[in-house]
Amino acid sequence: MTHAVKFHPGLMLLEQYVEGSLSADVALAVSAHIDLCPHCQQLSKDITNDQAAVLAEQDVSGRDAEQEWQQMLNFITSQPTISSSASTHTDTAPQVASVSVNGRTFEIPRALARLAEKQNKWLHLGGIATAKLPTADKQHVSLLYIDKGTEVPNHTHLGLEMTLVLAGKIVDENGEYGVGDLLINSPDDTHTPRTLADEDCLCLSVLSAPLKFNKGLTRLLNPLQQFFY
Amino acid sequence: NTDNEPRTGQWEDALTLVALHQDKAAYAELFRYFAPRLRAFGIKMFGNEQQAMEMVQDAMLNVWRKARLFDASRGCASTWIFTIARNVRFDMLRKKQSRKDDISADDLWFDGDYPEQESNSSDSWDTMLMSEKLAPHFDALPPAQRMVMQKVYLEEKSHQEVSDELAIPLGTVKSRIRLALDRLREALDDTRS
Ligand SMILES: [Zn+2]
Ligand SMILES: [Zn+2]
Repeated sequence: MTHAVKFHPGLMLLEQYVEGSLSADVALAVSAHIDLCPHCQQLSKDITNDQAAVLAEQDVSGRDAEQEWQQMLNFITSQPTISSSASTHTDTAPQVASVSVNGRTFEIPRALARLAEKQNKWLHLGGIATAKLPTADKQHVSLLYIDKGTEVPNHTHLGLEMTLVLAGKIVDENGEYGVGDLLINSPDDTHTPRTLADEDCLCLSVLSAPLKFNKGLTRLLNPLQQFFY
Repeated sequence: NTDNEPRTGQWEDALTLVALHQDKAAYAELFRYFAPRLRAFGIKMFGNEQQAMEMVQDAMLNVWRKARLFDASRGCASTWIFTIARNVRFDMLRKKQSRKDDISADDLWFDGDYPEQESNSSDSWDTMLMSEKLAPHFDALPPAQRMVMQKVYLEEKSHQEVSDELAIPLGTVKSRIRLALDRLREALDDTRS
């Protein structure tokens, strides 16, 4: 790791991710963060052990359904098992994939590899480009590319915004974010993200509601809102 | 004798027998322990019995079919079974609501090992743990983690002793210590989102 990840999902978010109770789009951002963050790799492994032990320790006495269980058991053990030749699971480092935009090619984390193969085409506006990833949700998971020396206009979040830096660096009023850093903005947070003069940036963006742009004429802002959401 | 205290290593041995010989008796032992517990987990997550049972059947079928993929050196049997059930449940929920081009459990949860990192030592925590500022946060730890911390740091027991005493895998003892330390760290500084 050339860059130490500084901004992580909180423990509660990681616990919900491990449990499988986060919405798929938020879980995707957390999963991609984990691919980039050794600290959270260890933590999520620990949380998985912890939750599995809690499950195994449960007291389930009191319900008698012997016949039902026996039927299920008979059904299962009558099924074929997979052959040993098929047992080639991934026990090596995760695969990486890449995406190209603005004449540049970037590596992206394992969690995004399959979806990025089916990404929508890049839409460009000034130095900014977005490409939606085809999730079955309300289509608000996208790759966001920001050319060097470019500013995303000041905006307020109407919902949750998660931005995971995949390459390069992004700066806003609250700090500087590098590869693996996960910015979470809540409803009513306002900021003006930008890139530095010498480095562009690729992010994963997850939005639960449109952005509200704060400057300029309303009729000019509406298309911008469509562009990001 | 479904609900006797499990012995450490019991489920790993059973899974190995299933993997090597498709041993139905070993599988039945696993099934009678885990199926009712997965059902309880399913009811908590789905809020209904029918889907919970559908999940149990799918998950336990995977345990039977894929036993060969279980690798005891990478973790304990209960963790493997829990992640199978979690993934089955997630994909069940998504299938009900959406198209096939979708985020799947395979995208979200990597079934493999990330490259090993140098472990960041928790030694500095030994002194931090004595700090009075930590006391209230210690009490706020989840009970299972507080129990392990108490046995290790206050009763000075080894990780193995705690594992035997609580009948939980050694890996889980270590995980609970790291999680408790991280929770205390999070309570002390707020660099997390
Ligand atoms: Zn992290
Ligand atoms: Zn924003």
